Amino acid sequence: MSAPAQDFAAWSLPEGTGLPGGGARSAPAGDVLLRWLDADPAWVRGIAEALRGSRDALRRLTAREVAALCGAAGARFLDPADPLRSRALALLPGTSGLSAEMSEAVLDGMARDWTGERLERLLAAEFTNAAALDGFVPGGLGLARAVGPRLCVQIVSGSVPGVGATALLRSLLVKGPTLVKPGRGDVVLPVLLADALRSLDPRLGGGVAVVYWPGGSEALEDAALSEADVVTAYGSDDAVRQLRVRTPVTTRFVAYHHRVSFGVVGREALEPGHRHRTASEVAGAVAFFDQRGCVSPQIVFVEEGGEASPGAFARELATAMQAVERHLPGGTLDPGEASLRHQVRGTAELQGAAGTGVEVHDGGAAGWSVIYDPVPGLGPSCVGRLVRVKPVADILDVPELVSPLGHHLQTVAVAGCGARLERLAGALTEAGVSRVAGFDATPFPAPWWHHDGQGPLGALVRWADLEGG
Amino acid sequence: MSGPIPSSAHPEEALTVLTRELETLFGRGVDALLDPAAFNELALRVFALQFEANQVYRGFCERRRVTPDTLTRWEDVPAVPATAFKHVDLVCGDPSAAEAIYLTSGTSSRGEQRGRHHVPRVALYRAAALPNLRAHLVPEDRPLAVLSLIPSPTAAPRSSLSAMMGFVAEEWGDPVRWLGLADQGSDPGAFRRAAEEVGESGRPALVAGTAFEFVHLLDGLARAGETLALPPGSRIMETGGFKGRARAVERAELYAALEARLGVSRYRVVNEYGMTELLSQLYEPVLAEGAGAVGRHVAPPWLKVRALDPVTLAPLAAGGTGLLAFFDLANVGSVCHVLTEDLGAVSADGVRLQGRSPGAEPRGCSLAVEDLLAATEGRR
Repeated sequence: MSAPAQDFAAWSLPEGTGLPGGGARSAPAGDVLLRWLDADPAWVRGIAEALRGSRDALRRLTAREVAALCGAAGARFLDPADPLRSRALALLPGTSGLSAEMSEAVLDGMARDWTGERLERLLAAEFTNAAALDGFVPGGLGLARAVGPRLCVQIVSGSVPGVGATALLRSLLVKGPTLVKPGRGDVVLPVLLADALRSLDPRLGGGVAVVYWPGGSEALEDAALSEADVVTAYGSDDAVRQLRVRTPVTTRFVAYHHRVSFGVVGREALEPGHRHRTASEVAGAVAFFDQRGCVSPQIVFVEEGGEASPGAFARELATAMQAVERHLPGGTLDPGEASLRHQVRGTAELQGAAGTGVEVHDGGAAGWSVIYDPVPGLGPSCVGRLVRVKPVADILDVPELVSPLGHHLQTVAVAGCGARLERLAGALTEAGVSRVAGFDATPFPAPWWHHDGQGPLGALVRWADLEGG
Repeated sequence: MSGPIPSSAHPEEALTVLTRELETLFGRGVDALLDPAAFNELALRVFALQFEANQVYRGFCERRRVTPDTLTRWEDVPAVPATAFKHVDLVCGDPSAAEAIYLTSGTSSRGEQRGRHHVPRVALYRAAALPNLRAHLVPEDRPLAVLSLIPSPTAAPRSSLSAMMGFVAEEWGDPVRWLGLADQGSDPGAFRRAAEEVGESGRPALVAGTAFEFVHLLDGLARAGETLALPPGSRIMETGGFKGRARAVERAELYAALEARLGVSRYRVVNEYGMTELLSQLYEPVLAEGAGAVGRHVAPPWLKVRALDPVTLAPLAAGGTGLLAFFDLANVGSVCHVLTEDLGAVSADGVRLQGRSPGAEPRGCSLAVEDLLAATEGRR
């Protein structure tokens, strides 16, 4: 393997913050030499204290001013002439494992929601009156205000780049200083965004710190958790559970644990005039983030009785997956992901050979797979562009099929449900689903979505009433 | 294919002929040399039989455009993923005619599928297991008293591990003391009484169990404040998973506790690595080689192990870490070539197992649906 071509320091700290005594460590991540600080708990507590100390300066800005400033920094990632965007694009493939083309598409999709206009809309969607973040406003028992955290500690998984940066912005919008610990696959964007905020305005820059350390560093996590008054945790059930039990009872804990998403294709989308487009949109939703997103569909239920059978649709989807591969190629999988893909794909091939009706379409070295699977049950799934197509007699049967996954359900992508959509969505949401959307919208929910069932800013604030005021 | 098995031969007969031949080969023991050409020739003959007689496997090979006529190297025989044993019957001939069906462990309460290995000729499993076990656990070939925490084949008829201990019981004169209860661990009191009996006889003991069963036994002994001293020359066969990085530490602690509570030193605790899907096993040769063998497993000559690139499945150079694939001639009645999810490195002197392949770090919020179902049900 060749030596890493570029170097990336996975931290961004407020002015005047010293580095820990342990120096830095490094490891290659693709073509990037990733460096991180060998932090210690006392140093982490020092960072927390510095962040809390910045809150007065942050509070003197209005929430709308914060949104405008954050948007000015965030929009730089969209400007082709801005070196910040170039640096992000250079660093993303190696650190995230996504291809260069997919990295650019992900950056565009994420940063589109980091502009002033989008962030102001987020404020407006979450607060009847965003001035509640600046002081008392009429409401509730007289007057009410929304108080952001003194310190919001955010431990983010590395599955999808951009999630850490979005988390950072959410805390700032409610005027909460934040310490972000990104996952390994998502170190670049929060660090670059924090740097951009710092160079734009010291009042914002003082309130953000991004520090990567290897997951499972309990002493560092404990130091951060004990200093926070709001914690957000993104990751596997197990990772989130570990953090939750170690967080003080008085600290608000916002959990974004494992989620799984599905697709539903109704008869209307299988008509000759629509089928090609449907397959193309489904392929895009599956391929985005190489299927590592919690919004990425793992299984697509296709209705029988339409103009194309579910098996025929699976073949069309395979063609569409190959087309996506040409303009948004798949990236690299880690050994565990690659191993699981061999197991799932090979098992499906054997199921097909056993006369179960399972059909496997795959891209060979390209890595994508479409498995047509009429066997009852949900079947094993995995990341890396492997989608299972399952026939259903009626799309209204899907809610019952997925209801065993209740607490882990997230997005259901839909096409061709026609007048039945609202009934379907009603039953899905009763089953635990928190979002029903078109396939093309699936990868990038708007900033004001109910993320796993709750408003992303509302989850961070504490409301206070001034009665009779 | 110009081998001695014409494709017109009845697969049943071909299986019988090959089984007999392999029994003879295994009977020569693990130190008998099997040169690469001879292994290759046998492997290709076995593949030709499996292609003929195992219809599911045949369809899989045909999809990959591999037939016995196209192959010259055993390495190119299609490997089935170990997971497939959960979903399809991989057997030569009629599945219902198999002499045994062994199931992989797993808690059925979570609704997980358990893998099933159909074995048409159990005698061949016995022929593969015994010389290997003897070589690594009783190299001096002396009579031992056997204490098994592993349940007897009567108590656990679907366990391939219990079957293996059953072979030991049949083969050795001294009756095995069955101290394990299926799904219930072992009874420390019964173990103490058995150990005392053995102690009085002065005969060294072989204690066999899974890591989980030993932990359970040690907990029981610790609660009772008991320490036993097995006769000098005693040894332990420990088996069970290597799951993730924590395992190395847990294992060191387990071995220290075994030494403290049972008086068996670390270099007399032999780890066995086996799986239901393979009828041959690997052992850590500590009895013969001492400290130098710690962390290294060796396979009998009729079992080939390779480490493959996790993405491309290309074979890695010696010492490279990758997914382990096994070619086990003892699997003649099912499928010989099995791709596992375990990571390890293979060198001339053996295999260094690293456990289930993890991501470098958990990769976030997407997860296999199966695991989610398990987790969802686990909440209740």
